[in-house]
Amino acid sequence: MVNQLLLMDRDSDHASALKMYLERHRMEVNIVSSGKDLRHYLDNQRFEIILGDPYFEQTETNNFLKTIKLNSPGIQIIIYGSRKALDLAMDDFGSSVTNYLEKPINSKALDLAIHHAQKCIANERKLANYSQRLSDLHKAQALYHQLFNEVPCYISVQNRDLRLTAANTNFKNDFGSEIGSFCYEIYKHRSSPCPQCPVVQTFKDGKSHGTEEVVTSKSGEQYNVVTQTAPIFDDKGDITQVMEMSTNITQIRQLQDHLSSLGLMLGSMSHGVKGMLTALDGGIYQLESGLKRDDPQRVANASEQIKQMTNRIKKMVLEILYYAKSRELQYETVDANELANTILAMVLPTAEKNDIQLDASIPDSLGAMEVDPSWMQSALVNFLENAVDACIYDTEKESHRVKFTVAAINQDKLCFTIEDNGMGMDRETREKMFTLFFTSKGSQGTGLGLFIANHVVENHGGNIVVESTQNKGTHFNIYLLRKRPRHINIDFLKEKKIINLI
Amino acid sequence: MKKILIVDDDLNIRDYIASLLEDNGYEIITAKDVPEGLELAKKHIPDLITLDLDMPGEWGPRFYRHMSQIPSLKNIPVIVISGLTGNEYAITKAVATFTKPFDRDELLKVIDETLNI
Repeated sequence: MVNQLLLMDRDSDHASALKMYLERHRMEVNIVSSGKDLRHYLDNQRFEIILGDPYFEQTETNNFLKTIKLNSPGIQIIIYGSRKALDLAMDDFGSSVTNYLEKPINSKALDLAIHHAQKCIANERKLANYSQRLSDLHKAQALYHQLFNEVPCYISVQNRDLRLTAANTNFKNDFGSEIGSFCYEIYKHRSSPCPQCPVVQTFKDGKSHGTEEVVTSKSGEQYNVVTQTAPIFDDKGDITQVMEMSTNITQIRQLQDHLSSLGLMLGSMSHGVKGMLTALDGGIYQLESGLKRDDPQRVANASEQIKQMTNRIKKMVLEILYYAKSRELQYETVDANELANTILAMVLPTAEKNDIQLDASIPDSLGAMEVDPSWMQSALVNFLENAVDACIYDTEKESHRVKFTVAAINQDKLCFTIEDNGMGMDRETREKMFTLFFTSKGSQGTGLGLFIANHVVENHGGNIVVESTQNKGTHFNIYLLRKRPRHINIDFLKEKKIINLI
Repeated sequence: MKKILIVDDDLNIRDYIASLLEDNGYEIITAKDVPEGLELAKKHIPDLITLDLDMPGEWGPRFYRHMSQIPSLKNIPVIVISGLTGNEYAITKAVATFTKPFDRDELLKVIDETLNI
C-alpha cells in the first residue's frame, strides 16, 4: 500500500534525507518548506499522513494542523522536533497527533510511527466502511419496515402455537394489535384452530399454502380474504415462524357471488316456476271443470289453490326483485295482529308436518303499524321458518317447539319474538348469519333469506337482537317501529355498489 | 275402469292430474313419494303410472328401478311428468315424457293410446 505523505520541514537537507528514507518504505512524499507551500498542497492534494515540525512557520502552521484534524480526522499527523518543541506540541495537539518523535529522529521510532499511522488509516477506512454498511442496513431495515407496514394486505407472523408475533399496520387497524393472541381468535373469533389451517400445514411441510376464508374484523365486519403462507427459517434451517398474507377480496366476491347466484337462481327458479305453473294450470282446470259441473266444492278448492300459487309466485318474484334490483319500500298501515297471524298461518303447516309445536301469543290489541307489508311479511316468515328449520335439523332432542310472541314495548315500538329449542348456532354462524350467501343449511340454503330479512328490518328502522346457544336453541327479538322512520331508507345494494357494477 | 297411479310430491299437482284423469273416466290412486308409490303399486297393480322425477328422499328413476325388479309391476307403462331439464333422459323406457306445465289434451291422448282406449 502506497501512502501519500506530506513532509513539513524548513531544513531542506533534513527533509531530503527523510524523503529518501521514506520513499524506500513505499511512501509518496511531498516536501513543503513554507506556510505558503503548505496551503497550496493542502488545497490541491489529499494526504493520508503529515509528518513534520508543527512550528516551522510559527503559530500559523500549528493552526493549520488543528484545522486539518478537525476537517479530515482520518489524516494521521506525526510530529517531530526538539524535546521542548514536543512538550509544547503535546499541550497543543494532545492525542489528536498519532505520534511525537524527538529530533534527531531514530529510524526505528520513525518506522513504528509510520506503521502505527498506517494501521490507524486502515482502521479508519474499515470503520468508515462499517459505518456506511450500518447506515445502509438501517436504511434497508426502515424500507422493509415501511413495506411490511404499508403493503396493501394483511400480514401476520405466527409461532407454532398459532400466536401472533408480528402484524402489519393494515392488520392492526382492522383486527387489533393484540400481539400474543391466537390467530383464530383474532381472525375468526373461534376458540380452537381452524380446520385445514394453512399455517399448521406450512409448519408441517415447509411449503406455502393458500386458502380462502371469511374472517371477522374487530368492528364485526365480515371480509372474504385469500390467504397465502410462507415459512420463516432460523439459521439452522428450522421453521420457527410462519408468515401469513391475506388479501381482502370482499368486493370481488360480492360481485362474483351476486352474478353466480343470479345464474343459479335462474336455474333453480325455472324448476320451481314450472311446478307452480303446473299447479296454477291445475287450479284453472279445477275451476273450469267445477263451473261446468256446477260443483261449488271444486270451485272453492280451485280458488284456494290459485290463491296459494299466486302467493308462492309473488314471494319468489319479490325475493328475486329485492336481491336483483332493490326498490323503494312501499309503506302501508296494517294491523299488527293481522300481520302476525298471516305469518303464523304461513309457517304452521310446515311445523305441523314435521311434528314441531308452534305456540303463538299474539294479542288482539297490538294496534296498527306502518310497514311495507310484502317485505315485512316475507322477512318475518323467514325468521319463523328458520326457527322451524333449526328444529327440523336438530337430532339431539326428542320434541321441539317454536314460540312466536308479539308484544307492544311502548307507544312507538313492537317486538316480534321467535324462540326455538332447535340446534342453535355456534359463534361463527351467529356472526355470519346475516352475511350474503352464508348458509348453515348446506345445499338446502341459498344464503339469501336472512340477508334480505335483516336488511328489510334495518330499512324499516328496526333492529334485531339474537341470543343463541349451540344444541340448545335460538332467541330472536325483532324490534320494529310503529311509524315509518323519517331518515332511514337505505338502498343497501346500491350503497354497497353491488348493483351499480352489473 | 283402468287404474292409474300418480306419483308426485306436490299435493296441488297430484290433485290436478287426479281430477283430470278422473274426469276422463279413470280410477285414480295417488302417492306423495317413492315408498308410498311402490306400496300402492304392489297393492293395486295399476294399468299405468305417471311419475314425477324430483321428489324429496328417493327420486323418480329409483322408483322405476324398484318397480322393474318386481315381476307384477315391471311391465306397467310409465309416463314421466317433471319440471326437470333433460327429463327425457332419466327413464329411457318411459312411454312418454311431459315437461311441466304439460298440455292436458296431449297427456290424455298419450294415456288413451297407451291403454288402447
